[in-house]
Amino acid sequence: MPKVFFATDLHGSEVCWKKFLNSARFYGADVLICGGDMTGKAIVPIVSENGHYSVTLSGESQQVPAEQVAEVEATIRRRGYYPLQMTVERLHELDQNPDKRAECFQEVMLAGVDRWMKMAAEKLRGSGIRCFVCPGNDDEMEVDDVVRRAELVELGEGRVVEIDGFSMISTGWSNPTPWKTHREDSEEQLGERIERMAAQVPDPSRAIFNLHCPPFKSGLDEAPAIDADLRLLHGGRALRPVGSTAVRAAIEKHQPLLSLHGHIHESKGAIKIGKTLSINPGSAYEEGMLMGAIIQLDPKKGIKSYQLVNG
Amino acid sequence: MADATMGTPASAQRPALFLRNATGLVKSWSTFDAFVYSFWSVNLITLGLYGMSFVYTVPDGQALAAILIFGVLTTFLVITYAMLVSVMPRTGGDYAWQSRVLGGGLGFVLSITGWWFTLFLWAPIYANILVVQFFSPLAYTLGWSNVSTFFTSQNGIFVACLIVLAFVSVVVTMGMETYARIQKVCFWIGLGGLVVVIGLLAFASQSDFQNAYNREATSLFGAPANAYQATIDAASKTYAGHDFGFFAFGPLFLLMPWLAFYLLWPNWGATLYGEVRGAKDIRKPFWSMFWGLWVTVALVAVVVLLIAKTMGWNFYQSANAAYWNSLFAVQGAAAPPVPIWPYPVMFAGWLVDNHLFQALLIIVMGLWFFGWAGTLFLSSTRVIFAAAFDRVLPAWAANISAKRRVPYGSLVLMIVPSIVISAIYAYRPSFTSVFLDATAVLALTFLATVVAAIILPWRRKDLYDASPVANYKIGGIPAITIVGVITAGFLLWMLYQWSFNPDNLYGTSFQKTPNSVIYFVATYIVAVVIYVAARIVRSRQGIDLRRIHHEIPVE
Repeated sequence: MPKVFFATDLHGSEVCWKKFLNSARFYGADVLICGGDMTGKAIVPIVSENGHYSVTLSGESQQVPAEQVAEVEATIRRRGYYPLQMTVERLHELDQNPDKRAECFQEVMLAGVDRWMKMAAEKLRGSGIRCFVCPGNDDEMEVDDVVRRAELVELGEGRVVEIDGFSMISTGWSNPTPWKTHREDSEEQLGERIERMAAQVPDPSRAIFNLHCPPFKSGLDEAPAIDADLRLLHGGRALRPVGSTAVRAAIEKHQPLLSLHGHIHESKGAIKIGKTLSINPGSAYEEGMLMGAIIQLDPKKGIKSYQLVNG
Repeated sequence: MADATMGTPASAQRPALFLRNATGLVKSWSTFDAFVYSFWSVNLITLGLYGMSFVYTVPDGQALAAILIFGVLTTFLVITYAMLVSVMPRTGGDYAWQSRVLGGGLGFVLSITGWWFTLFLWAPIYANILVVQFFSPLAYTLGWSNVSTFFTSQNGIFVACLIVLAFVSVVVTMGMETYARIQKVCFWIGLGGLVVVIGLLAFASQSDFQNAYNREATSLFGAPANAYQATIDAASKTYAGHDFGFFAFGPLFLLMPWLAFYLLWPNWGATLYGEVRGAKDIRKPFWSMFWGLWVTVALVAVVVLLIAKTMGWNFYQSANAAYWNSLFAVQGAAAPPVPIWPYPVMFAGWLVDNHLFQALLIIVMGLWFFGWAGTLFLSSTRVIFAAAFDRVLPAWAANISAKRRVPYGSLVLMIVPSIVISAIYAYRPSFTSVFLDATAVLALTFLATVVAAIILPWRRKDLYDASPVANYKIGGIPAITIVGVITAGFLLWMLYQWSFNPDNLYGTSFQKTPNSVIYFVATYIVAVVIYVAARIVRSRQGIDLRRIHHEIPVE
């Protein structure tokens, strides 16, 4: 009777990843699933100059001595950003050269994921807990290789995996977004991608669809309305459904026991689509809070219970 | 895919942050758009003029000074809420803040009473505003006095409540994005109407107004000649009159609970959507709430001064006293010659001797209602959703229809009890005091949030330390605590007056209004029962509600 803990969209928050690894013991879970978008969105430069370090965090500039840099780095990581020590020259180079910046981002992101995989190995070794990660649309393709090499973390993307008698399919690909991120498909392609995996599921009534993108018009996909310039409309108070029609169609067609989603951080919720329980636990990674879902599976009942938590 | 830099430290023109292209990263919203939302919440016309009509109950209270002091004190509430938004940006709202800081059970009870049960009471209040500011004056102006009479009957009051509930349901169904567009149109046209009202009052003399009042009182209501003086005379039986220039410090504070009726809500819907980087953007909620409050305060001051100049302050307060005292059957009260609520917009329209113009002005100013009332249940549906996701309420409470995205579960939970409460309001006038308490219970909900803000630096040190707010301290004490204590003092003062004012000034004193005490105690008991029942039921299902907000250890 596996107990699953699902969290998603950690976006580089090391505090959230540590909590995720500890959540198995905290909630008594046997299986951990990280739904995607593990990597951070920003690098905060810590600039070395004149014997001290300058850093600006949340609009507040400060200068710190070398011995306080580790503390500042921890604060930055806590918020889901990547701290990076650099010289003034390197700062200007990254500022002016988009290619160098992209290269730098990839380095820090992959190093970050690798560090997380090592943490997982330390924390989970000997526990018998299975841990799945399925990179999301914000994660570069190279992240998959880092996860594949991990000792105790299993890559979910594109596979059907068995979890104590239940089948799980996973994809971090999403429908098109205004940000043109790394794993985006047209609705048609996304539907085909899901269908290729769903066709291998022996019994949909014992299946988990771990699909990063939530189903369209499900209430799990309400994102702030923005204009073409990515500016929030109506004072940031208007919401719009942005989920995937392909994901919805797959759920309606196959009626899996459970579908797990993320992608839209504001749209925490749990709803029923036909026989399927669809969950988006939301994300508040920048607060260092791990929003997640505990699902108690049962061989007879399917889902015995579920709960959304803010850990 | 790194393609953006951001921020400028004070030291030099250099990037403070490198951003890559990632889902959800948005540019900040227009402060003006957010201001419009906040401005609607402290609605100058609908809530403002309605609330101002009770100021006569504190005859020695200098309205203008009280409004300015209230603005200053409410600014502390705005700062407190802005800081909470900054600490917990996207899990905002009273329910989330209270639950995460005070605990799930307490958060549920306090929020659900404020944002669910008490909002039932606001439907009839909105309906009454719709009647006195729209249906009644419009009907009389167009010569349809029987329509106006209908809306003063018990059936009419109930029908008005149903109209409001239908309107609110339509808005919830159409969604905030569509309604925000409607709000914008209402804002600009309504503002145009306000400019006309201000212009009419500014350029007319008091004798112009007296002549216009006497003319229309006779023309529309069949009042005898010199209705202006007759209104003052009618009020004099129960109202001693007031000189606008009189100033005494003490009574100012007795006006605060009345002013709260419209000025306490700039933080309405103080949530934040979208992932916007940088402290400057986090400050936007503050500025939108601040300007929403202070532009309203300034406009109220202008309207009050113009009323005093053109209508005469004593006349205006007498008209209010005559209307309300007659309606509430105060001993010795005489019926006013103009038997409807003293609507300053209608009075200003009378300065133009043309009924079509007067009707048009009332319709245009009615947009202040229709651009505002639609959000009545917005916060309620959010709280119900949050409680359902926390498994305290049944899952169906958060259901939405697949086709039109109508949150029918939460709508049913709001609309059905509101219809019952509206019927009580319409057919059981002895329950009036319950409705007067509607402001007080929301103030109590705010107080709980403010208490959460005060203790936040110790109770949720992790969240506080990680937020930009942690940088602000005064004498080593967290600024959020200091600001919160000032706000709490302000709210406690008003709650004390609402609950224990010996003269029952607000119609809500415990010792004089047992119905309201029974109602509100009952709502808190119901909330506690729901939570305890949920704990027991969920426990049997293997769900421990206590762990919703328990923090997972990091190390």
